[in-house]
Amino acid sequence: MRIFSVSHKTAFVVDHCPYMAEPSRQLIECDMLTKSRSQGVIPLAPVSKCLWTCAIECSMEYCRIVYDVYPTKKLVNYIVSDSEVHILNSWKQEDQNTQQLMTALAAVGPPNPRQDPECCSVLHGLVAAVESLCKITEYQHESRTTLMDTADKVANRGRIICLTNAKSDTHVRMLEDCVLETIQEQNKRAAGSDRLMPIQQCELVLVHIYPQGDETLVSDRQKKELSSVLSSEVHSVRAGRYLACKLNVLVQQHFDLASTTITNIPMKEEQHANTSANYDVELLHHRDAHMEFIKSGDLHMAGSTSRDSGLKETVTLKWCTPRTNSVELHYCTGAYRISPVDVNSRPSSCLTNFLLNGRSVLLEQPRKSGSKVISHMLSSHGGEIFLHVLNSTRSTLEDPPSISEGCGGRVTDYRITDFGEFMRENRLTPFPESMVDAACRTPVERAKSQLERHTRYWPMIISQTTIFNMQAVVPLANLIVKDTLTDEDVLTCQKTVYNLVDMERKSDPLPISTVGSRGKGPKRDEQYRIMWNELETLVKAHVGTSERHQRVLDCISACRSKPPEEEERKKRGRKREDKEDKTEKNGKDTEEKGWTTDSERLKGVMEREKDEQSECEIIKDSPDSPEPLNKKPRLDTEEQQPPEKSKGPVSLLTLWTNRITQANSRKHQEFAGRLSSVNNKAELYQHLKEENGMDVHENGKATR
Amino acid sequence: MPTVVLMDSSLSMTRPVSVEGSEEFQRKNLAVHGLTMLFEHMATNYRLEFTSLVTFSSLWELMVPFTRDYNTLQEALNNLEDYDKTCLEAALQGVSNIVQQEWGTSCPCQVVLVTDGALGIGRGSLRHSLQTVKQRVEDKKFPLPFPFPSKLYVMCIANAEEVLYINNSFSQLIDQAYSPFHAVLRCGNLTSDVQVFPRPEPVTIDEEVDPMPRTVQTDLEIVGFIEIGDISSPPVLSRHLVLPIAVNKEGDEIGTGATDDTEEETPTNQMAGKSPNFCVLLHGSLKVEGMVALVQLGPDWFGMLYSQADSKKKSNLMMSLFEPGSEPLPWLGRISQLGPASDAAENPYGEDDSKSPFPIQPKNKRSYAQNVTVWIKASGLQTDVQKILRNARKLPEKTQTFYKELNRLRKAALAFGFWELLKSVAELLERECTLLPDSAHPDAAFQLSHAAQQLKLASSGDSKYAAYEHNITPMLTDFSGGGGADRI
Repeated sequence: MRIFSVSHKTAFVVDHCPYMAEPSRQLIECDMLTKSRSQGVIPLAPVSKCLWTCAIECSMEYCRIVYDVYPTKKLVNYIVSDSEVHILNSWKQEDQNTQQLMTALAAVGPPNPRQDPECCSVLHGLVAAVESLCKITEYQHESRTTLMDTADKVANRGRIICLTNAKSDTHVRMLEDCVLETIQEQNKRAAGSDRLMPIQQCELVLVHIYPQGDETLVSDRQKKELSSVLSSEVHSVRAGRYLACKLNVLVQQHFDLASTTITNIPMKEEQHANTSANYDVELLHHRDAHMEFIKSGDLHMAGSTSRDSGLKETVTLKWCTPRTNSVELHYCTGAYRISPVDVNSRPSSCLTNFLLNGRSVLLEQPRKSGSKVISHMLSSHGGEIFLHVLNSTRSTLEDPPSISEGCGGRVTDYRITDFGEFMRENRLTPFPESMVDAACRTPVERAKSQLERHTRYWPMIISQTTIFNMQAVVPLANLIVKDTLTDEDVLTCQKTVYNLVDMERKSDPLPISTVGSRGKGPKRDEQYRIMWNELETLVKAHVGTSERHQRVLDCISACRSKPPEEEERKKRGRKREDKEDKTEKNGKDTEEKGWTTDSERLKGVMEREKDEQSECEIIKDSPDSPEPLNKKPRLDTEEQQPPEKSKGPVSLLTLWTNRITQANSRKHQEFAGRLSSVNNKAELYQHLKEENGMDVHENGKATR
Repeated sequence: MPTVVLMDSSLSMTRPVSVEGSEEFQRKNLAVHGLTMLFEHMATNYRLEFTSLVTFSSLWELMVPFTRDYNTLQEALNNLEDYDKTCLEAALQGVSNIVQQEWGTSCPCQVVLVTDGALGIGRGSLRHSLQTVKQRVEDKKFPLPFPFPSKLYVMCIANAEEVLYINNSFSQLIDQAYSPFHAVLRCGNLTSDVQVFPRPEPVTIDEEVDPMPRTVQTDLEIVGFIEIGDISSPPVLSRHLVLPIAVNKEGDEIGTGATDDTEEETPTNQMAGKSPNFCVLLHGSLKVEGMVALVQLGPDWFGMLYSQADSKKKSNLMMSLFEPGSEPLPWLGRISQLGPASDAAENPYGEDDSKSPFPIQPKNKRSYAQNVTVWIKASGLQTDVQKILRNARKLPEKTQTFYKELNRLRKAALAFGFWELLKSVAELLERECTLLPDSAHPDAAFQLSHAAQQLKLASSGDSKYAAYEHNITPMLTDFSGGGGADRI
């Protein structure tokens, strides 16, 4: 149903004239005596609703169903007419609920039988209804403002349902003429107004209500076009359950509804708690939920039965056990809100409460023979119950190639758990409409930018990464991806770095993958070099985010043991110059696919170690070995660290160099500049920065 | 989207087409040539498509039921026989039946009709069908439009001038309907080249004032993640496999690596299998965590990615498309308003993952969730009166429930203008009062007559007592203040 179809606006006009106070003569026994107490008591006379009461409760039932199935965009304007017009609500969405209408109706009260019938008429209400249909709804307004130049494409259609007691067919004709005239008048007025729209199409549904036992004075009439704008139909109905039935049929016709009866619902008996009987509950919903039956012509096969008025058909579906659980993702082709026909009957409320408590029920098509076909599911979401249509035919996607057979399918060490954690961190949550951040980004744009930040450096497999396999890096890795860092965050990151420095000093083993390499893999110091490089790659990817992010990088650069590049090149064996050069370049290339470099580098290192086992001694002089200059100040500050304590293989040369440097370092105080240098480059005028807050001296060396 | 190839095998298909300087062909040969092209293309590029072959003349016959085995289709094509006259209506009816039997009425299908354009003669000719189309009874309707969403391609093998275009027209068909849909799946900086199968079709929403077909863009961007329980079996327009593909540097596709289980493992396939792919990572984590990824398909159009396992425990990355629009699922709210949970002041999932911000609660409760009063059936009214009486007999223990039910009835009666009922219930309560046994608590009598009096006042319509929002409160008595409002 298009949004601005006739059912976008429904104006109810209910006659409140004195004759509506006539009793309907449908008697209701409300004094139901229980057997034990019936002796000697005369039961009270049964009560009878007046025509007004019948009209109100049936129209409220109509509204209840509309609001249940269409909580938005299908609007009702409720008008009561006697000597004047009482408009009980507006087209505003916030006015669209039955409680508000009930309150307003209570204020109106039943018609006063002693009021002068001459000055009362339903005509006032009909005129008001036409005026009301010309009023623009918030949806029409929104649509017109978004369309701008094609605003005239927004249609204005509506329906008037008039519940009255007419005198005769001539009276009915008079009412129709009045509506037609008013439409013509109002359309002229609306043409010149911004807040009004001319009515393009109006359906008038006149329901003549008369007491039971009376002869009707008005004849039924099928829908007839009275003009290009107005069509009208007349229903002559006895008050009471006939009227209720008529309006139920009308609401189904007006709002494209269909009926489904859930059968075989097991329910505990009130009296006998351990027995259970089966009940049926009838639900209304959009008729598209039956599309499969309608199209295949299976409507009757599916257990549809004609009932009561002959107009109403219901499809029977069977309650199905076992039930489904909520973590199952069904292939569902439609979900439609429901409204129970008999909302407060015990079977209905049992079913709806069961569903509202979060459980779902699968429904099965009753078939005489053959396999069972589950075609629907009832489930509630946020206090609303939906009838889900499940696909019950063969899938065209059956027997697909498994993902393990495709690209990347042979790789076995994906960081599945880490990515799971990543997904949890990037779960979505609804934000109120008003919440826009400083950059005017919608929440969903913020979500995308968070994903971008979190994936700037994200190796997909375990053997591609060292830092993400280390518990010690976690605090920094979690913080650095954030959009903004606090000073405390920076401190945490720095602590993480110091912790790593400490680990390196103690030569703690690193979880470096040895996949693809024979032997023990890279040496410990090489491992740390790889780890530092990777950490730097991670942090560099975020360095542009804020000045605090930069400080984290500064801290790493200051603390890590990285040989100065200049010396590196000089010391390097000429034959590998080209190769190394390439890796080095890649290492700097953090903007793009930065993370491939370390694995490449690692591979390169391993290969080198493999074919150069014999040249081991010479290699130690290569750039890959620890740089003594940088190590020296650390020994100095962290005072005692006897080199013999260090674990892992240490070459003779290293031992010797360490000893010499250690001895030398005791003889003089190191230049402050060199102490805090990065790659033997010291920054000048650091105090300027210091005045602006903390800076590179977090390790406290230079302050001494 | 399954395909039915409907091949004309009437005698007129054997008419020769003379092309200068070449041997003589029958129209049938040309048709077979074109279809061979199509089948070869599908076998290499669109292998997961189910295709069936139906031939027709005055009768129709299902030569090959829906299959992915293109050799069988080709073989059947090569062994076509020639029959009598063209009778299109019966053939289309046949196609309609075959498709519905196999796939139901909601699965979109493509029908490729290959014919020489002869309409047939006499009964069953297209002319005859169209002349009588308005005089049909319900179950003998002309089979078009099909009850399922469909596309009908007519490949007309017409006359000599067009012979040269046979290749062309079949290539056009291939491009239009059977070229693989390639896209890039993105999650921030993590990406994977993928094929989406079957091709996502353009969607037009009827609700729109100015309907424009929407197409799925080739950049599929993940916006975030949601638990399966929260997304809760949402309605979808269609489902698609998302198959990672390897694209080499020149941009040529190497293949999905696995669509072909019959083919030998080529070195490139092996390579593709061994290099890490984001799809596989994503699939693995979605499966383990029981989550889905929300993916943007275009402006105001979203879908979800999830792991789907078939009966054989083979599992796969699937994408389902939601209805286009800003709010496809009421329980998620507007998609543009979904943001990262970490931006919220308080973790909406709770510190121990015990909570969820979904589903979104609508502003108003539905009727079945708010204990509405409906008296359309006499039983509804009787039940409500009985409830009051039942509680009345258990006063003062049930004072609270008694007044709750009494007020509910009062409100409804006032709204419905049903004052007579208020009087009746007042009388009932007064009678209950007289029937109280001697052992009854003295408070019971007070409450009953108080309630009866209040109802009577309300039934007078006096605005002082008949206000809808007004509630009858328990009478304060000397006997333990029945209503719980203790006196000091």
